[in-house]
Amino acid sequence: MDSQLTQYIPILILLLVAIGAAAGMLIASVALGRWANRGRLQNRAKNQNINTPYECGMIAVGEGNTRLSVKFYLVAMLFILFDIEVVFMYPWAVVYRDMLKTNGPVILGSMVSFLGILFIGYIYALKKKAFDWKS
Amino acid sequence: MNLMILELAVVVLGLGILLGDLWTAAHQKHLLGYAAAALLGVILLASFFGLEQVGSGPAYAFNNMLVLDGLAVFFKRFFLIAAILVLLMSVEFSNRIQSGISEFYCLILFALTGMMFAASANDFIMVFVALELISVTFYVLNSFQRNRLASLEAGIKYLILSALSAAFLVFGIALVFGTTTFTNFADIQRALVANPALAGNGLFLLGVLMIIVGLGFKIAAFPFQIWAPDVYQGSPTPSTAFLAVGSKAAGIVLLLRVLFVAVPAVTQHWSKLLIIISAITILYGNLCAIPQRNLKRLLGYSSISNAGYLLLGFAALSQAGKAAILYYLAGYLFTVVAAFTVICLVTRDRDSDDITVLAGLHRRSPLLAMALTMAMVSLAGIPPLAGFFGKFLLLKAVVEQGATNSAYYWLVGITVFGVVISLYYYFGVIRAIYWSKDVTDFSPITVSWPAKLSLVVCMAAILYLGLLPGKPLKLSEDSALALTTPVSGSKQLFH
Amino acid sequence: MKPVGLEHYLVVSGLLFCLGLWGVIVRRNLLIIYMSLELMLNAANLALVAFSRFNNKLDGQVMVFFVITVAAAEVAVGLALIVALYRKKQSAHVEDLTTMKS
Repeated sequence: MDSQLTQYIPILILLLVAIGAAAGMLIASVALGRWANRGRLQNRAKNQNINTPYECGMIAVGEGNTRLSVKFYLVAMLFILFDIEVVFMYPWAVVYRDMLKTNGPVILGSMVSFLGILFIGYIYALKKKAFDWKS
Repeated sequence: MNLMILELAVVVLGLGILLGDLWTAAHQKHLLGYAAAALLGVILLASFFGLEQVGSGPAYAFNNMLVLDGLAVFFKRFFLIAAILVLLMSVEFSNRIQSGISEFYCLILFALTGMMFAASANDFIMVFVALELISVTFYVLNSFQRNRLASLEAGIKYLILSALSAAFLVFGIALVFGTTTFTNFADIQRALVANPALAGNGLFLLGVLMIIVGLGFKIAAFPFQIWAPDVYQGSPTPSTAFLAVGSKAAGIVLLLRVLFVAVPAVTQHWSKLLIIISAITILYGNLCAIPQRNLKRLLGYSSISNAGYLLLGFAALSQAGKAAILYYLAGYLFTVVAAFTVICLVTRDRDSDDITVLAGLHRRSPLLAMALTMAMVSLAGIPPLAGFFGKFLLLKAVVEQGATNSAYYWLVGITVFGVVISLYYYFGVIRAIYWSKDVTDFSPITVSWPAKLSLVVCMAAILYLGLLPGKPLKLSEDSALALTTPVSGSKQLFH
Repeated sequence: MKPVGLEHYLVVSGLLFCLGLWGVIVRRNLLIIYMSLELMLNAANLALVAFSRFNNKLDGQVMVFFVITVAAAEVAVGLALIVALYRKKQSAHVEDLTTMKS
């Protein structure tokens, strides 16, 4: 095999381990459940609690997949916007030291103005109660 | 830094309005619009004093990403004037926007920033960022009336098709970058000179074609015009006006720079393509406009045909053609803004843009009737108004090229045919004003003094550009010179 | 076996672009159309990064930074628009965008 492809063998192994672990857990839980229930499947109506996730805990209430409030959507969107802008700080940080010697005001001013604009956006979102969970 | 001082001022103004909104009472918000327009006026005036280095040739900044030359300054002032007039229009429109009128002003300012950066773009990265700044603000501007389904639909149609064109643009830029290893216009031009075989490279040509697709969408040229009628009809009137003037002009300036600065060698070979696109765009826009009864939709098709007229200047491939584009755009700015301002005022109390709302307008408000009439006459290209002289210059530039290729004569013929068709529907609008049979409403329309001022300015400019073309033509020719100067060692401010 | 070269990346990127375009043309749900558009942008990103790597120039990667951030802003606005339309119309299908017919 070609040397370039052999580099990827660890990734292949990792992939197999990851798939194996996830599939193994699923299969094991189903198999264990079947095995524990093997004699009681006939009178399941009498013994409902056996099939709940926590047999001795609180009784589960409501649907498993509840709908999320639209508030989450707004916060998630704002998060993505502020989060992705950080990407510009990496190249900036890389050239920062070199440029500080030759062109200090520019490199500092550009990042300050960039963050300033983001900060004004943040103040705006705050004042418009985009982060207000109660209303 | 001082090369982008105008843009910085506009950004700061936009942010100021955004913050000012938080501490302004609801009934005073229209003052923010007037303040924004007034401060833009100050910035416009300052541009005549602060940019003296332009006289000494083009200046470059940020690794040649930005250029400040005559063309850039011409378009920056163009966009500033357009934004001022549109801001005044949006103040009149504010009663039809449920919430967030200050954000509407801000978004106009941010779109203006994008356009001004587009005017200065000298690098494909800059092209992309400037265009997307314009597009993303227009998604919101077009769908600003969230309670009107038509507005939302307009926003979504613009969103999908604009994003599609952006994808083509980025892929085209990727291919051009890959084949030339540059994204800078001047570097690409030099690479083409140094390696003429590149102009025959399939991947490179595909890239250039995809970039033209992306920019052709912005100016609504055939076959990328399908969005225009729906979006023009559904959007709030000030957004439509800014879309028709600002966004189209931004597309034009980028197309000028790409075709004549970055890849002039390819453009020379593609004159036939430009001729065909121009002819079909003119025919399509004018023919489809005939049956329209909705004013904004009519102007949408009219905007397509105007994109075709502007492409005449590209197809001519001459210096006269480029100057004619600039001249025509200047006339188009005032004409279209006047038309949309009138529509905005007339439809203030009705939820309809149908042509029948104009009935009896000359009795209800003579000023509005006169402004709309002048706008229509100018768009139709009848002397002595701006539209006539602009079309005359464009056709003159095309005829001058006729000796090289007889296809140019066909193009002239098609254009004249298109203009004749357009007379029909433009005069339909004028007929609706003066000669409507069933006029029921004679209530006078009150026009606030800023709106009056903007209409008077537009009418004066239409007349001036039509009657005294000397000075503005000289200005357009000087500005177009930026597209000829061979790329030389550039003055670097930063690197 | 051949080592992975520029043309491999370009073929993948071209295929992704065409898949995205196909999705935009064929699918009828606005959200899926929007996803296809993002796929097209990412195809372009892949091409840019590959060219950047094989040309030994960073310009392409800088461009990718801008494309990613701009696409995020575009998605934020676009999804908000689609949600607003859905609330108004209870539908996110392109066939239902028919308010304006002449």
